[in-house]
Amino acid sequence: MTLTTTEITSPGMTLNMGPQHPSTHGVLRLVVELDGEIIQSCRPVIGYLHRGLEKMMEARPYRHNVPFTDRLDYLASLNSNLAIAQAIERIGNVTVPERGQYLRVLLCEINRLASHLVFLGTFATDLGATTVFLYSFRERERILDLLEAMTGARLTYNWIRAGGVPTDLPEGFGERLTAFLDEFQFALDEYDRLLTGNRIFRARCEGIGVISREMAVAYGASGPVARGSGIAYDIRKVAPYDVYDRMEFDVPVYTEGDCMARYRVRVEEMRQSARIIRQCLREMPEGETMAKLPKIFKPPPGEAYSRTESPRGELSCYLSSDGSMNPTRVHFRAPSFFHLGLLPAMLPGVKVADVIAILGSLDTVLGEVDR
Amino acid sequence: MSATDRKVNVLLDILISLRSFLKGMWVTATNLVAREKVTLQYPYEKPQVSPRYRGLFYLPFNEKEQRLNCTGCTLCEQACPTKVISMTKLGAGKHGGVSEFNMDLGRCMFCNLCIEACPFDAIYMGSAYELASYDRDASVFRIEDLAQGGKRSVEINIKTISEALAEEEKAKAAKAKAAAEAKSAADAKAASAAEERQAAEKPAASEPAPSASPESPA
Repeated sequence: MTLTTTEITSPGMTLNMGPQHPSTHGVLRLVVELDGEIIQSCRPVIGYLHRGLEKMMEARPYRHNVPFTDRLDYLASLNSNLAIAQAIERIGNVTVPERGQYLRVLLCEINRLASHLVFLGTFATDLGATTVFLYSFRERERILDLLEAMTGARLTYNWIRAGGVPTDLPEGFGERLTAFLDEFQFALDEYDRLLTGNRIFRARCEGIGVISREMAVAYGASGPVARGSGIAYDIRKVAPYDVYDRMEFDVPVYTEGDCMARYRVRVEEMRQSARIIRQCLREMPEGETMAKLPKIFKPPPGEAYSRTESPRGELSCYLSSDGSMNPTRVHFRAPSFFHLGLLPAMLPGVKVADVIAILGSLDTVLGEVDR
Repeated sequence: MSATDRKVNVLLDILISLRSFLKGMWVTATNLVAREKVTLQYPYEKPQVSPRYRGLFYLPFNEKEQRLNCTGCTLCEQACPTKVISMTKLGAGKHGGVSEFNMDLGRCMFCNLCIEACPFDAIYMGSAYELASYDRDASVFRIEDLAQGGKRSVEINIKTISEALAEEEKAKAAKAKAAAEAKSAADAKAASAAEERQAAEKPAASEPAPSASPESPA
C-alpha cells in the first residue's frame, strides 16, 4: 500500500520565529503554521520596534527632524536623511547647490555599498557561509571609516540636511575612496565567485521564494526585490533626483524572481554604485555645499512628497505644512514594510528551512518597518 | 539508472564538491596571507578616530580672555531636538556667560546640530567615546566634566565673568550716577529757566488760568 501526502494529515504545529531570532534581522515575529515541515500559513507580527518617530517629528521643527530619520533604515541612514531632506526642500522651495547635490549622490552610493555588504554577509551567514560574512564586514569597516572621516559618525550620520551637505569632503578623501574602490571591485568579484559558485548556496537559493512579476507589482515591491522579478524600476532612472540624470549606470534586472535573482541584483548594484561614485569624484564641481535656510524656517502651507531609491527600495517621505514651524504630518513609505507584506503570500507551501533564505533575500530592516 | 551509474554519479558529485571546496579554501588562504589584518584587540588597542569624530562634547577654554567662549545665548539649547542641554546664565550682554551647563547624554543623538548652531565656537565634539555608565545620573555631564581644563577653568571662567560683570555694573552705576547728576543739574536749570519764564510771562498774561497751578512746569 502506498500513501500519498494528501492522505497523511497531522494536527499541525504553530511555530514562533522571533522576535528574538538571529535570522529575522531585527525584532520581527513570524507566526508560522506548519504541517510537517511545510508551511501552511504565515503571519508577520510587527511593532516591536515602534517608537512613534513620525509623531515625534510632528512635534519638532523641520530642521530637528533629520536626525530622527537615521533611526529608520539604520544600515543606510544617509539615504533616509535624503528622503526627508528632499521633502523639506520641496515644501520650502530650497535649491541645493550643485556640489551639494554631487556630494549627496556620492554619500548615498557609499552608504548603499555599506548596506548591500551587510546584506551579502548576513544572507550568506544565514545560509551557513560564515566566511563571506567576515569578509564583507571587513570591507564595510573601511567604508565606515571613510564615512567617519566625512561625517564624524559611524552609523547615524545625519549629514544630508535640508539644503545640502553641511561640510565639504575632508582632506584626501577622494584618494582614499578611489584606493578603496580599486581593491573593492576585485574583492567583490571574489566574494561573488565564492557564493555564486557554491553548490550549497545555489541549491538553497535557486528556485526558492519565487515572486512573480505580477505579484511584485500587486504587493508594491520595489528596489532589488522588484528588479529581481523582472521589473526594471529604479527611482534613480524613472524619476531622477539630484544629479542622477547625469550619471551613467545600468539598472540590473533579473527575471527569475527567486532568492538568487535578488542576490544577483544586489551584487550587480554594488558594481554600479562604484561606477557612480567614480563619476561623482571625477565630475564634482567646486562651490558651496549647502543652501542657506532661514533661522526660523516656516515653509508656506502645502504638501510635499519626495521619492528616493534607498538600498531597500522606494523610500518616500510625505510632509504637510500649515505655515507654522512644525510639520502637521510626516509619513514615510518604507520599502521593507511592503516586502514583509509579501511573506504571507509567498510562504505557504515552502519548507520551513527556506523561510530564512527568503527573509534574508528580502533584506528588510525593522527600524524602517516599525518607525 | 543502474547501480554502477549511481556509483559513478556519487563519485562525480564528491569530486565536484571537493573541487569547489578547494576553490573556497584557496580564497580563504589568499585572504589569510595577502590581505592585511584589520582586527583590533579592542579594549587593549584603541582605534584612531577621525578629526571630525562626534564623541564627547567639550567647551573650549579661551586662554586669551581667561574664560569659556559660551555666552549663554541658548542657541544650542534651541537647536537640540531632544532637549539635552540646560544652562544657567551668568549675567547677560557683552560679558555674559554660563555658570552651569548640563548635558544629559542619555538622551543625546550626537547629531551635531548644537555645534552648528553655536555662533561663538563655544561647544565642540571631541574624540572620547566610551560614555556608558551603570548609573543614569552618570550620563548627565556638568560644566566641570565638559569644560576644557575641568573644574579649574570653570572657576576661572566664573571669576573672570563675575569680575567683568562687576566692573560693568560699577561702570554702569558710575554712568548712571553721572547721568543722574547731569539730569538733576539739567532739571535745576530747567526749573530755574521755567521760573524765569514764568516771571517774564506773569505780567504779560492778563487772564489767570484757573486749573494751571503756578508750580507746574511749563
